[in-house]
Amino acid sequence: MEKYLEILNYTIYGAAILLLLIGLYGALTKKSLIKIVLGLSIMDSGVHLLMISIGYLKNGTAPIFSPGHENELAKMVDPVPQALVLTAIVIGFGVTAVALALVIRLYKHHNTLRIDEIKNLKW
Amino acid sequence: MVGTPVLFIVIPLLAAFIIPLTGMVWKNSVRIIPGLVLSYMLALSVSLMWHITETGTVVEVIAGWKPPIGINLVFSPFSGFLATLMIFLGLLVWAYSYKFKRNVDSEPALKYFILLMLLVTGSVGIVLTGDIFNMFVFIEIVGISGYGLTSFYTRRDSAEAAFKYLFMGSIASTFLLLAIMIIYSQLGTLNIAEIADKMPMMSNKLKVISLIFFILAIGIEAEIFPLNGWAPDVYTQAPGPIGAAFAGIVVKSAIYASVRLVYTMFDLSGALDLFIVIGLITFIVAETTALRQERLKRMLAYSSIGQMGLVMVAFGIGTKEGIFAALFLIFNHAIIKSLLFFSGSYLVYNKKNKFIKHVNGMGKYLPITSILFTIGAFAIIGLPPFAGFWSKLAILTAAADSKMLMLIAIILTVSILEAVYYLRVINRIYFFPKKKSTEAKKPTLNALIVMISLGIIIMVIGFYPDLITGIIDRAATDLMDKTGYIKDILTINN
Amino acid sequence: MKKAIILISLTILGVYLIDIFTGIGFGTQHFASGVKDAYLIGSKETLKVSNVVTSIVVNFRGFDTLGEVTVLFLASMALGGILYKKRHDVGERSVLFPSTRIVMSGAKLLFPSIVLLGAYVFIHGHLSPGGGFQGGTIIATGFLLMLITYRNYSVSHNRLSYVESFAGILFIGLGLAGYFINNSFLANIFPAGKLNDLFSGGVIGIIYVAVGFKVAAELTGIIYTVLHEKD
Repeated sequence: MEKYLEILNYTIYGAAILLLLIGLYGALTKKSLIKIVLGLSIMDSGVHLLMISIGYLKNGTAPIFSPGHENELAKMVDPVPQALVLTAIVIGFGVTAVALALVIRLYKHHNTLRIDEIKNLKW
Repeated sequence: MVGTPVLFIVIPLLAAFIIPLTGMVWKNSVRIIPGLVLSYMLALSVSLMWHITETGTVVEVIAGWKPPIGINLVFSPFSGFLATLMIFLGLLVWAYSYKFKRNVDSEPALKYFILLMLLVTGSVGIVLTGDIFNMFVFIEIVGISGYGLTSFYTRRDSAEAAFKYLFMGSIASTFLLLAIMIIYSQLGTLNIAEIADKMPMMSNKLKVISLIFFILAIGIEAEIFPLNGWAPDVYTQAPGPIGAAFAGIVVKSAIYASVRLVYTMFDLSGALDLFIVIGLITFIVAETTALRQERLKRMLAYSSIGQMGLVMVAFGIGTKEGIFAALFLIFNHAIIKSLLFFSGSYLVYNKKNKFIKHVNGMGKYLPITSILFTIGAFAIIGLPPFAGFWSKLAILTAAADSKMLMLIAIILTVSILEAVYYLRVINRIYFFPKKKSTEAKKPTLNALIVMISLGIIIMVIGFYPDLITGIIDRAATDLMDKTGYIKDILTINN
Repeated sequence: MKKAIILISLTILGVYLIDIFTGIGFGTQHFASGVKDAYLIGSKETLKVSNVVTSIVVNFRGFDTLGEVTVLFLASMALGGILYKKRHDVGERSVLFPSTRIVMSGAKLLFPSIVLLGAYVFIHGHLSPGGGFQGGTIIATGFLLMLITYRNYSVSHNRLSYVESFAGILFIGLGLAGYFINNSFLANIFPAGKLNDLFSGGVIGIIYVAVGFKVAAELTGIIYTVLHEKD
C-alpha cells in the first residue's frame, strides 16, 4: 500500500501509463476508424512521455552547454532518451500519416468509418 | 572485398532518393536501378561471406565511435547467411515483378520498386545491426514499406488488410519501445553486446517483463500465434510477389530478432522452452487452419505461419543440431515458399477470390508452372529427393538427440496434415477438368526464369545438401558462441 | 462483455507497469555507468556541439536519424501510393468556407516569418533546443497555413521532390564523404570549431540543415496530397 501512495511522487509515470492505457483502450474498443487512429497516437504519446521521464534527474538542467554553464556535466539530465524520443515521434508521425491515408481510402470504398460495417475480411 | 556492411543500408537509401529524380528523365530507370542496387548488394554480401571465412566476423562502427557509444553493424556467419538469403530473394522478387504494371503510369511503378527495395534494406538492417534501438528503426522501415506494398492495388480489400497490419504494427512498436526503455533504464546502454554483457546486473523481474514485451512485439512481425491475425489477409491482398517477400524476407528478419534476443541478450533459462511451446502451438494451429482454407493464398499463408512455428521449435531445442535444423529450415522455406507463391499466383491469375478450385485442370494449360508448383509442394511436405526433406530430417534428428520423443510424434502427425492439403491442390491441378470460364494466363519470360531457377535450386539442394550445410553449420556455431559475439564487438579496434 | 475483458486486462497491465516503473524510480540516477557520460563528454570535447541531444541524434546515433528520415520518405511514398490517382483526376482542394480578408492578409504576413523561424531553428539546431525535424515541421506549418487560406495556392510536386531528393542525397553524400575520407560512415570531415560558435560541430550543422529541408518538403507534400482528396 505504501508503494501506491508513493506513486503520487511519480505523477509523471502515472500520467504516462494512464495515457498509454487510454490509447490502448480506445484503439481496442472503438468502432470508428478515426478514433482507432487517435487511440494509437495517444498510446504513442504515452510511451514517449514515459521514455522522456526515465531520463529525468531531480533538479537537472537541459543537456545543453550554454555559455557560462559549460561545466555542469553532472547536473544534466540524460540526453539519450530525448534523442530516442525524437526518433520515435517522427516514426509515430509517419505511421499515423499512413494510417489516415488508409482510412481515407476505406471511407471512399465503403462510405462509412464504422469498422463493424467494413469487415470484408475476418478480424 | 567490394565494401563494408554499412553499404548494405546506405547504397539502397541513396538510390531511393535518386530514383525520383531519374524517373522524371528516364521512365525505365525506376525499374532498372532497384535491380542494379539489389544485385550490388548480393555481390557485396557474397564477397563478405567469403571474406569472413578467413578473417572472422566483420564489425563496422558508424561515425567512428566504438561500441557501445556508436551504432555498429555486425556481419557474422549467422547474420551474413540470413542477409545473403534475404537479398537473393529480394532480387528474385524484383526480377519476377519487373514487368509489373508496365503499361500503367511510371508513378505506381516508382513507388512499388522503391518500397520493395527498402523492404529488403530494412530487413537486412534488422539482421546486421548491433543496437536495439536501431533495430526498432529498421523494424519500422520494414513496417511502413509493408503497409504501402499491401495496399498497393486500389481494388480489392487491400486497404483493410493494410490497416489491420498497421494496427498490429503500432501496438508492436509501443511494446518494443517499452522493453527498450526498461533495459536502458537499468543498464544505460542500447548496444546488444554490452546489454548481453551486463545482463546479470538486471533484476529477474525486469528481465522477464522486458523479454515478454520483446516477444510480444516481435511475435507480431514473426507471425507467432495468436498474434498473426493480420498475416493471412496481408498475404491475400498484397500483390502476388509481395507475399513471397513477406514469407521469405520480413518474417525471417523477425525470427532473427527474437533469436538474437533470446540466445544472446537474455540469459534466462526458461526462454527456450517458451520457444518450443509457442512454436508448437503456432505450428499445430496454423496447419490445421490451412487444411480448412478455400483460397490458395490463404492456404499458403497459413502454411508459411506453420513453418515459422516449426522454426521456432527447432530454435527452442537449443542444441547446435537444433539451430542447424532451424537455419536449414529457414533457407528451404525461403526458396520453396517463394516458388509456391510465384507459381501459385499464375495458377489463379486474375481470379477475384483466388479459390483453390480455380486451379482445376491447369496441368494441361500451364504445364511448366504446374510442375514447378508440384515440386514446391513436394519439397515443403518433405518428400525426398527435394530440399525440404533434409531440413525435416535435421529437425527430427535434433529432437531425437535431445530425447524429445513427443515432439517427433507431433511434428510427424502435423506433417501428414500438411501433405493432405498440398496433395489436394495437386490433385486438382492434374486430375480435375478445367472449367470453361477460367482462363489460363501464361507467365511472362522473367517470371518463368525466376521460377525455373528456384525449382533448379530446390532440386540441386535436394541431391547435394552438402552445398549449403557447410555455411549453415558455421552460422549455427556462430549463434551459439555468445561470448565470442560480445568479445568481437566490445574489443573492436579500428 | 468484450469491453469488460479489455478493461480488466488493461488494468492488470497498468498495475504491472506502475509497479515496474516505480521500482525503476523517478528523477534519480538509475545505472552506475552508461553511455550517457561518454555522450556528454564527447559532445563537449570532441564534437564541440553545445546541444548534446543534437550530437546524439546526428552523430553518435546518426544512423538512427538516417533511418528516421527514410521512414518519413517512405511514409510520403506510401501515402502517395495509397491515395494514388491519375494526374488528370486530381481534385480541387476541399474548402468548407472561403477565408475572410483578415485571414488572408494575416496569413500572407505570417508566412515569411514562419519560414524564417523554421530556418532559424534548424540552423541553430546544434546550439539551442531545436533542429532539423523541428525546423522542418515549422516550415511545413507555414505551407499548411497558406494552403488552407488560399484556395488556389499550389505547391509544385516536382519541386518538392527535387528538394526532398537533393536534401537526402546531401545527407548521405556527407556520410559517404566521411566513409571515404575517415573510414567511417558519417564521420566528421570538417574541423570541429569552438563550442557555442555557429560554425561548430563540423558536418553536424550541415546535416541538420539538410534534414530540415527534407522534413519540410516531405511534410508539405503529405499535407498537399491529403488536402487534394475529394470525399
